[in-house]
Amino acid sequence: MKLTLSSIRKKYKEKTVLQIPELELEEGYFWGIIGPNGSGKSTLLKIIAGLMEATEGNVLYHNHTLNEKTRRSMTLVFQKPYLLRTTVYNNIAYPLKIRGYSKRDIHMRVNAMLEDFGIEGLRDQKAWTLSGGEGQKVALARALVFKPKLLMLDEPTANIDPSSIILLEEKIREYYAMEKPTILMVTHNIQQTRRLCNRGAFMYEGEVLDSGDVSHLFGLEANPLVQSFIRQGLI
Amino acid sequence: MENFVSGFQDAFQLIITMDPEFFAIVQLSLVVSLTATLLASLFAIPFGVLLGIREFPGKWLLVRIIYTLMSMPPVVIGLVFFLLFLRSGPLGHFGLNFTPTAMIIAQFALVTPIITGVVFNGTKERGPDIQDLAKTMGASPTQTVWLLIRELRINILSAVVTGYGRAMSEVGAVMVVGGNIRGHTRIMTTTIAMLRNMGEYSLAIATGIVLLLISFVINSLLYHWQQER
Amino acid sequence: MRIRQAILTLSLMVFLMTGCGSTDEDAHKNELVMATTTSTESSGLLEFILPDFEAQHGIDVKVVAVGTGAALQMGKDGEADVILAHAAEQEEELVRAGDTVGRFDVMYNDYIIIGPAADPAGLMENANSEVRTGFRLIAENEASFVSRGDNSGTHMMELTLWEDAGFDEPSGDWYIEAGQGMGDVIQMANELEAYTMSDRATYLSMLNSIDLVILLEGDEVLFNQYGVMAVNPDKGEHINYPAAEKFVEWILAPETQDMIAEFGIDEFGEPLFYPNADQNVGLGRSNFRHKKQPVPFRVLRSKK
Repeated sequence: MKLTLSSIRKKYKEKTVLQIPELELEEGYFWGIIGPNGSGKSTLLKIIAGLMEATEGNVLYHNHTLNEKTRRSMTLVFQKPYLLRTTVYNNIAYPLKIRGYSKRDIHMRVNAMLEDFGIEGLRDQKAWTLSGGEGQKVALARALVFKPKLLMLDEPTANIDPSSIILLEEKIREYYAMEKPTILMVTHNIQQTRRLCNRGAFMYEGEVLDSGDVSHLFGLEANPLVQSFIRQGLI
Repeated sequence: MENFVSGFQDAFQLIITMDPEFFAIVQLSLVVSLTATLLASLFAIPFGVLLGIREFPGKWLLVRIIYTLMSMPPVVIGLVFFLLFLRSGPLGHFGLNFTPTAMIIAQFALVTPIITGVVFNGTKERGPDIQDLAKTMGASPTQTVWLLIRELRINILSAVVTGYGRAMSEVGAVMVVGGNIRGHTRIMTTTIAMLRNMGEYSLAIATGIVLLLISFVINSLLYHWQQER
Repeated sequence: MRIRQAILTLSLMVFLMTGCGSTDEDAHKNELVMATTTSTESSGLLEFILPDFEAQHGIDVKVVAVGTGAALQMGKDGEADVILAHAAEQEEELVRAGDTVGRFDVMYNDYIIIGPAADPAGLMENANSEVRTGFRLIAENEASFVSRGDNSGTHMMELTLWEDAGFDEPSGDWYIEAGQGMGDVIQMANELEAYTMSDRATYLSMLNSIDLVILLEGDEVLFNQYGVMAVNPDKGEHINYPAAEKFVEWILAPETQDMIAEFGIDEFGEPLFYPNADQNVGLGRSNFRHKKQPVPFRVLRSKK
């Protein structure tokens, strides 16, 4: 899914927290969105995901404004995901249920996901008993089970145990390789961006300072401010 | 102390002898309070949820009014409806004073702000997260409302239990609009107030004990049901 | 900081509470607990006469206005020092049981039968001011009648009168048992356009807010005697018997009796209570035949 942002501005009271005159995110790329805290990365994701309205400007999804069909083909996974107060199985089944899949179909797909993520053992466990890593696995499985064309991840591996990080990254990579969706991932981890993404955007104080190929963003051609931030690890 | 001992004896006797008048009183108590709570829930749950997730001008004032109404003395609510229902009052031609219907209406008015307030509090806390999740999952507005109610069910349940407890335990409103008429509008709390006034202390205590037993059974059932999920 | 504040508040509270406690002993001597029926309080009589007693003796009177049953029970339990009630027969039982020391007539008022002006049972026309006939008319026409239904003196009296009219236990949709005080019952009868029996004082004090009219009065069986009793000091240390004695003496004194006779004339053009302490001989007297006390539930019925 191609995203076109034009004249986006988000204000809280009098303060502008996001200002993007123009940005095009081409279809089928894996974007890493990096930048220091408070640079507007999460706000950007929320606006694209339709959870927040921009004060000005608009986002076009394949040259259309947001409609129900588009909404159903995209999703956002939070750093601290909200899990439904029910079993792991029901959590992963939820997006399929509201899309009207048959019981058999749901059963098949959810079980495949559980197996794929190596969490078959948690199938009937209540969501509120899970550890952070387990919870994030369930949230990612729940997001991928309906095969979204636009996947947004807000620091999906922050504060999670290393073995879970490895698995989550692997699943994200596999999904990208298989379905070729557009992925936008907010992260503080430069190494992770290098490992997973092929495109990157650097944000600072509500603006996109530089964007493009990962090799460009991390190279010597990038905006000098971006270079200095990355060199000092200040993202 | 003697009154408590004989109170327990009387309570035991009331239960095992199945005194028909006493059981009619218990039955009317349950019917009035359950009906009022049920009707209040149908209105207050969606109202509380909406209040928790929507922002609109004047919301703070509405919330403050609801909180104030939560601590409204039952006798004042009873008085308001009594005056409305007076033959010469604005709603006089319905002839509602001293009927179980009037008692249900008064308790409905008593319980609605309580259920609304408790549901609102729970929704305010977790509602936005649930709503965001519903959106990221692609849920329609109707599906979102259902998800909110399902996710907040424990909070909603405790709101309903709180409201029911309030309805079952109040005496002021039902006394005023119901009139404690024997065989017609007499319920457990008005019976206790009357027995106290008669100096029948142990029988008053006995009725109180039965009232507590009923509350215990109902709460146990609801708690059990809550544990299941 | 917050903790220190909490401790300060707490110790202040304790100080205040114990402060009250230390003066309690002395205060008790100057305090008289009176259990009385609602009519004396709601008619405004006590408010009218008590300041005189308090000024004369420096004793505060705490008035607990409840139903007759509860008022007498408070005497039996030693929860009151003095009782002012209007159920002579039951009051004398307390005297016999030694719960109180003596009983004296204080005053009387009378009961009246009130109802809607339309008078569907025709009491005005056909009862000849006889309660017996009046009640029969009400029952035969199944005209709504609101009963106190609370074992109060008035309720007891009403049941005796029904019995006289040939109805041992009046029942049916027309007979409404409220289980409430006189004021509430009059209000209810007014709303339901029903008949009821009330003491004159309460009825007169409510004239402004009701449409009911007096349909039957003057029958001598409607006489309503009030008596005063001091609770037996043997009930416990806390009984303020000296004050109770002073109170009994005071309320029976000619000056107080004159005040009672005056009360209500300004407002209603007639007195609400008629003093008759001068008729006291010995233990006082009773105009009531004994009526078995009705009980709310069968359990109690089998017990007594």
